Amino acid sequence: MTPRPPPLARTLLRLFAVQGSYNYERMLGLGVGVAEEPLLRDLPADGPESPYRAAVARGAHFFNAHPYLAGLAVGAAARAEHDGAPPEQVERLRATLCGPLGSLGDRLVWAGWLPLLSGLALAAIALGAGWAAVAAFFVVYNAGHVALRWWALRAGWTHGARVASALHHPLLQRGVAILGPAMACAVGAALPLTAQYLAAPFEMWARGALAAVAALGFIALRWVPDRLTGLRLGLGLVAGALVVGWLWP
Amino acid sequence: MIALLVWGTLVGLDLVSVPQMMIARPLVAGPVAGAMLGDIETGLKLGVVFELLQYDILPVGAVRYPEYGPATVGAVATAHAAAGVLGLGLGTLVGLITGMVGGVTIHLLRRVNGRRVQAAAATLEAGDPRVLARVHLAAILRDGLRAALVTAFGLGLAWAARPLLGGILTVRGVTLLAVAAVGAALAAGAAGTLRLVGRGPNLAWFAAGLVGGVLVAGVLR
Repeated sequence: MTPRPPPLARTLLRLFAVQGSYNYERMLGLGVGVAEEPLLRDLPADGPESPYRAAVARGAHFFNAHPYLAGLAVGAAARAEHDGAPPEQVERLRATLCGPLGSLGDRLVWAGWLPLLSGLALAAIALGAGWAAVAAFFVVYNAGHVALRWWALRAGWTHGARVASALHHPLLQRGVAILGPAMACAVGAALPLTAQYLAAPFEMWARGALAAVAALGFIALRWVPDRLTGLRLGLGLVAGALVVGWLWP
Repeated sequence: MIALLVWGTLVGLDLVSVPQMMIARPLVAGPVAGAMLGDIETGLKLGVVFELLQYDILPVGAVRYPEYGPATVGAVATAHAAAGVLGLGLGTLVGLITGMVGGVTIHLLRRVNGRRVQAAAATLEAGDPRVLARVHLAAILRDGLRAALVTAFGLGLAWAARPLLGGILTVRGVTLLAVAAVGAALAAGAAGTLRLVGRGPNLAWFAAGLVGGVLVAGVLR
């Protein structure tokens, strides 16, 4: 009898909610456990201390990484459980993957793919593309997003405890190397275009004031980055503008 | 209004819980909210403002940050009710306050989730998959409720903002409010991007993009 294929599709679906129970105790742990559980169902499940239950409990322990790459740890840990790896080795594998998966995902997605496409969409909207730019952003971003989640899960399941080698995949390394400069260029181009787009309804004096406010705000954010955030700057500026606008006839 | 509440709830869920497909990005949340109100242009404008503010945030680890998705929905509802430059300024004000409240609720939710996990620790350690699924699902439902409340708060502010503030501002004051809002967004966008870019070789690419953008903007003027 051929063994049942692993339910990777069901695990992938659950991975979309991997951060659903995010908390400061176990971070993504519970979500990872929920996603891993379908892959563990082939383990012996008789009795309260069965390998299945022990693996489910381990799967829900502390875990933190980039959510799109968490599938790599899910697949690898589940495969290691199937291969009969000792519990300490499975725990060590999960712990070892946290840092690299977090770092790689942050560079690849949060500091690469996402701002690159967001910058391109901002520039396109400023140039009059409207809805089409938003739709293109959504479709292209999620094509990459879903592909990355699927690749991570499959790579984890394929490599098991030796999954570290998957992180050296040339496509990932090249992706990080290309996305950084592309993101910087795209967002750099988007900033003056969006400034022009947003300033279009302003009179001349207001455009001058906008340039001054944006420049001073930028300097302030760079000067005290720990204490001043975009939110605080925005709230402070609009509160000040409300007071001045109320008093200025 | 109900449609906006539902949309804001979905947007709030998307940010962290499920499915992280970036409908929580202001760039998407704003135009869709605008389309619901029959005012796509306003949705795009506010979406762009809050997308720039979003650049200030890098959601790594357990970092605390404002929630600009439902905030953008509230901002668009405000701006739709108060047309033109007034809408831009008031919408941003409402959105910033809603975003701040949203950020606080996310932090509180994570603490509540932590307590629920602690309470169920013994059964989780026993490897009961039903308890695991129940704790996880309950947390997602709590986040949905949280997102709905934050969106309702934003829509309530939108409803109150125009009669409260629209009447007391002069024409110059209205413009000044919009200038402050857009200026803050541009400053946050530029500072956040430079933080991502760093001082390495990407800085030259950023400068090249900036020069290119300025040239295109100049040609189109």
